[in-house]
Amino acid sequence: MSEVKEKKPSGSRKWTARILTLVVLIAIAAWMFVIGRGHTVYFDNKTLELENGESIGTLQRVDVYVNGNRVARLAKRERGMATWIGQNFKMTLEITKEKGDEPYTQEVAIDLPYSLDGIVVNLPGYLAGRSQDEWMSEFVPVASSTTEEDEEIITDEFGLGDM
Amino acid sequence: MSESVKRSGVQGKLRSFVQSFGLPRLIIAGFLLLLFIAAPMVGSDLGVQLTNTINRFSWNAILVLAMVPMVHSGCGLNFGLPLGIISGLLGATLSMEFGFSGPMSFVMAIVISTPFAILLGGGYGWLLNRIKGGEMMIATYVGFSSVSFMCMMWLLLPYHSPNMVWGLAGKGLRTTISVEGYYDKVLSSFLQIQIGTLVIPTGALLFFALLAFAMWAFLLTKTGTAMTAVGSNPTFARAAGIDIDRIRMLSVVMSTWLAAVGILVYEQGFGFVQLYMAPFNMALPAVSAILIGGATVNKATIMNVIIGTFLFQGIVTMTPTVMNNMIHMDMSEVIRIIVSNGMILYALTRKSEASR
Amino acid sequence: MNKKKFSLGEFLRGNSVPIMFILICAFCIPISGFSPTYLLNEIITRLGRNAFLILSLLIPIMAGMGLNFGMTLGAMAGEIALILVSDWQIWGIPGVVLAMIISIPFSVALGLLCGKILNMAKGREMVTSYIISYFINGVYQLVVLYMMGPIIPIAHSSIKLPRGYGIRNTVSLLNMRQCLDDLLAIRVSGVKIPVLTLIIIALMCLAIVWFRKTKLGQDMRAVGQDMDVARDAGIQVERTRIISIVISTVLAGFGMIIYLQNMGNLSTYSSHSQIGMFCIAALLVGGASVDKASIGNVFLGVILFHLMFIVAPSAGAKITGDSMIGEYFRVFVSYGVITVALVMYETKKRRAKQSLGRQLEEDQRKGEKA
Repeated sequence: MSEVKEKKPSGSRKWTARILTLVVLIAIAAWMFVIGRGHTVYFDNKTLELENGESIGTLQRVDVYVNGNRVARLAKRERGMATWIGQNFKMTLEITKEKGDEPYTQEVAIDLPYSLDGIVVNLPGYLAGRSQDEWMSEFVPVASSTTEEDEEIITDEFGLGDM
Repeated sequence: MSESVKRSGVQGKLRSFVQSFGLPRLIIAGFLLLLFIAAPMVGSDLGVQLTNTINRFSWNAILVLAMVPMVHSGCGLNFGLPLGIISGLLGATLSMEFGFSGPMSFVMAIVISTPFAILLGGGYGWLLNRIKGGEMMIATYVGFSSVSFMCMMWLLLPYHSPNMVWGLAGKGLRTTISVEGYYDKVLSSFLQIQIGTLVIPTGALLFFALLAFAMWAFLLTKTGTAMTAVGSNPTFARAAGIDIDRIRMLSVVMSTWLAAVGILVYEQGFGFVQLYMAPFNMALPAVSAILIGGATVNKATIMNVIIGTFLFQGIVTMTPTVMNNMIHMDMSEVIRIIVSNGMILYALTRKSEASR
Repeated sequence: MNKKKFSLGEFLRGNSVPIMFILICAFCIPISGFSPTYLLNEIITRLGRNAFLILSLLIPIMAGMGLNFGMTLGAMAGEIALILVSDWQIWGIPGVVLAMIISIPFSVALGLLCGKILNMAKGREMVTSYIISYFINGVYQLVVLYMMGPIIPIAHSSIKLPRGYGIRNTVSLLNMRQCLDDLLAIRVSGVKIPVLTLIIIALMCLAIVWFRKTKLGQDMRAVGQDMDVARDAGIQVERTRIISIVISTVLAGFGMIIYLQNMGNLSTYSSHSQIGMFCIAALLVGGASVDKASIGNVFLGVILFHLMFIVAPSAGAKITGDSMIGEYFRVFVSYGVITVALVMYETKKRRAKQSLGRQLEEDQRKGEKA
């Protein structure tokens, strides 16, 4: 908080203190970059078509828990989503494979790639133990062309918004 | 400006010219010149551009003129201009409410706004006399408070004219009221001259000239010189037996009244009466216009008003079209904010003038 | 302060603004019909939201530079930092911390500029800082509206305007919404208390108390009392004044980030425009004046001012049948309070000057006689 205002101590000590503060701030900033990156994770309960023509079928029902909260209850061909800060994504799945099966739970930990904002995880593919690039893909938001008109910028010098 | 250009040699002349005119003003004037040169090149009609500039000049010049008396009496820049504007708005709405129409409504608007201007200006002047030295900040907030107070009043006052109130509720004034059928273009269309695409609103310019001349003449009278004395050298003025408070009060009332008339002239050109928060924005452009024209915090002439209003309005009207045609980006609003406030900052930070 | 003899009249005069506000609130609360729980909840939310911002005003007052209308500069720095951070998709508390760190260089640069300009305009700091805030607002718009996109890379179309440059009117901060407030938050019979935010505010208060006692803080107070005397005492007046503005700007930047994480979205072009006015009004409502403000004033001010802010619209609507009346009323009161405070300050200053002059005159006369 109190950068660049150390007092009195002789020149070199003052500068060391300043540089030290600066380094610490930059270090904290860098650390925040690492731990604060947010991702949106989408999970699909959809048939996964592989390149070699193979396909992995859907699950009857999957309940997805993140941080103890159920974020999605997926029937066949459904998609759910959750937000996550950091790269070591963890969730708990409660899986019913076929109709009438007893559901079982499974802890799942996925390393999210830093560069992706939205990540789609195909659950059947993941649970079948396929390689990562087969069940993980980037989520590309569909630009809804109808709403993409230029909005008018209101630069009202005296805009009286609510506090 | 021209009196000081007496040194020999072109260079000396130039230097003293730059000094007296001020670098920022030269830059702004150069910028405007550039815009006028660029306008035909990017394909916009120079006549139309000039017409717009002159039109806007005629709407705004009196609001800028309203700065002069207070600067002269040492009250600084009148950031409390909205107070005068409110008197004008009261005049305008009451004149319409009482059923006047056509040119008569304009005259009556001025007549009705006068007592309000004297009353509000008097109170404002009394306040400013109690806080000598801190006028500008308090003026700003007097303006703001009065505008927000009037926001309530516009809703509560018993206006009934169907041309002005909200249609559904039948009470409360609308935010913008058209002056069509009242005094729309009443001055601008008077003796209007048209040369090709260039249209000159002679009447409005004449009206401004009349007021400007009256102001100039007033400043030469005994009271006028006393006013200048109060502003430039209060100790001397007191020694000469001038009632400083009375003179300052007079200057504030004059400024307020001019602002009231100024807003009416603005409305006749613009075509609408704008109520509620609209007067809020109006002090800063007027302040920066007169400063661009070469005025300082405690010195202003009629010439400053004319040059300043022309330069300021020129930039305001020219930048959008020229910019749009050149780079397809409308940066005019941003440029206006930076130029006008930068100019005020420049004036406020001049060392020589910070003596008071 | 005047412990010698407690006089009611003096107390009333010295605290006229807070007393007036207590009366307004006492009048409006029953009419507005809000439940005490609701009001308490709102007040605590707004306390957490605004107190830090208002604390940033204290240091320039200490240095005799009046109400720092230039705190808007810090707010803008904070907003730029938040825009960048939300484009980089740094969420939650790390996002807030990162935004704070990023805002520092912007705030320091703007604060230095502001301090330098104010040093050139001694004696009219307030009106100058007020115009600076408009001027920098223009620069801010230039940066955010035209430079973000082509010059400063902005990746996400949820932030960027469809035309390819410039930032949208609102930037969603949903991913860091109330993350400070919710961590460690406790609920006491329906009232949510944002403990962490309050702890941060309390730490800031302690820091200010501590700062007053440091050498720099003492210097600032000396400069605030009398610049010439301070200069004679070997204090670098200009430097001290600049530092006070820089600190204020940096704190305002932090305050704005705290404010916006609570709001959960950022109005790119208007969030900052009124923030200075409301913060100053709140501080003055708390009984501060242009040359004297304490931490107590901050808290009393937030509570009273925002109580008025909450109840006025609905009370106004109930009385007049028009909801806009109350809206305008609270705006009017905000401006009115600042006006009254400024007038009181100037008259006091003038009276002090006059009595000083009279004393000088008397001394002179005595000297002549002798």
